[in-house]
Amino acid sequence: MAASRHSRTPPLSLVATPPAEDTRRADGGRDWSDLMARAQDGDRGAYRSLLEDLTPYIRSIAGRCFKEPSDVEDAVQDVLMTVHMVRHAYDPNRPFGPWLLAIANRRIIDRLRRETRQRAREMALSAEHETFSDVPANLDQANFDEAALGEAIERLPPEQRQAIKMLKLNEMSLKEAAAASGRSIAALKVATHRALKSLRRMLQDRSGRS
Amino acid sequence: MTRTPDLIDALVDGATPVRRLRPPLVRAALWLLLAALVLVLIVTGHGLRPDIAERLRQPVFVLSMVAALITGILAAIASFQISLPDRSRWWLLLPSPALAVWLSTIGYSCLSDWVSVGPNDNRVSETVRCFATLLLTSVPLSIAMLVMLRYTALLRPTESSAMSGLAIAAMTAFSLSLVHDLDASLTILAWNLGVAGLIAGLACLFGRRLFAWTALRLASIPADSGNRS
Repeated sequence: MAASRHSRTPPLSLVATPPAEDTRRADGGRDWSDLMARAQDGDRGAYRSLLEDLTPYIRSIAGRCFKEPSDVEDAVQDVLMTVHMVRHAYDPNRPFGPWLLAIANRRIIDRLRRETRQRAREMALSAEHETFSDVPANLDQANFDEAALGEAIERLPPEQRQAIKMLKLNEMSLKEAAAASGRSIAALKVATHRALKSLRRMLQDRSGRS
Repeated sequence: MTRTPDLIDALVDGATPVRRLRPPLVRAALWLLLAALVLVLIVTGHGLRPDIAERLRQPVFVLSMVAALITGILAAIASFQISLPDRSRWWLLLPSPALAVWLSTIGYSCLSDWVSVGPNDNRVSETVRCFATLLLTSVPLSIAMLVMLRYTALLRPTESSAMSGLAIAAMTAFSLSLVHDLDASLTILAWNLGVAGLIAGLACLFGRRLFAWTALRLASIPADSGNRS
């Protein structure tokens, strides 16, 4: 029964299937009120269509209030759960839109309030706050392959290698490097640029192989 | 974190048929019926106050009783209306005219009694019996309200609990006035206003948590909820 109720092309039968099963609004969208009424009666297909229809709508509302995509998704899920829990409180004779909007606004406001309270007394930890007794554990570059970079630098042409060593490894300014190497600033810039490009390519090749 | 499509799958799996809530007016009427039953039981058990015939001839007393009763009825209707998400917040104002009349009659009789009797007319034993009536009226009505409005925990808990508290307080004050002859000076203020304020205040403070607690106890969340009401 349930399967035939939802198929777009109803099978031939002597019993007329009610035409209102796939009711659509004037704008072509599905009638949420009708879907909810059927969901209240236990029609899971209608309920799934309703929740899937509602999700982007709720996401657009939540997107106006939260910046982080994960916060938006949390709010969407909160609203969906609330709709599920209070679905028996919906009266099919009343429009569904205001009912949903009121729930969404209420849940989003509650989340915003909770967020503000948390922000007032809690501080998010960043990587710098994390400390362990083992010294290397506190380094951000834990996975950084230093040896591979050193090897790649050694394989650079001499001018590029010199520019990288002076400007990046020894952190000299362009002026100091120009004075030390006797080359022009422009030449050093070009050499650094080319060196970085070659290094990137070499390291990518390496990681591609491994 | 659960992905939204997974959540939808879980919710659809738990989508058992639910019984729709009856219209808010019908539900308010059911609660008022329970309130009437409690009142009848209390009057039967305790008996009416000895001076009821005399008091009923006093317009201020009658007005005060009627105003308390109407405040209770209107606040009950408002709390069932406001518990639904798509109803207007203006419902909160529904009991305010009756509430204003009730409060002003309390103030008036308090002032006139104060002048005629004086402020030292406190009767301790009657006060203790009053307290029993107060508990007998307000506890069953509060429990009924909590159970009937548990779904509002996620929607408008504060507004609903304020209105429920007012309805319960007004009904309790009505039953107190009907049963106990405790109308003199300070006690009026202490009992009527104090009890009303106490119940409404407690409802405001703890209503939110109580609704959430009741909702959790009576409904398995989220798979299957709200199908008993």
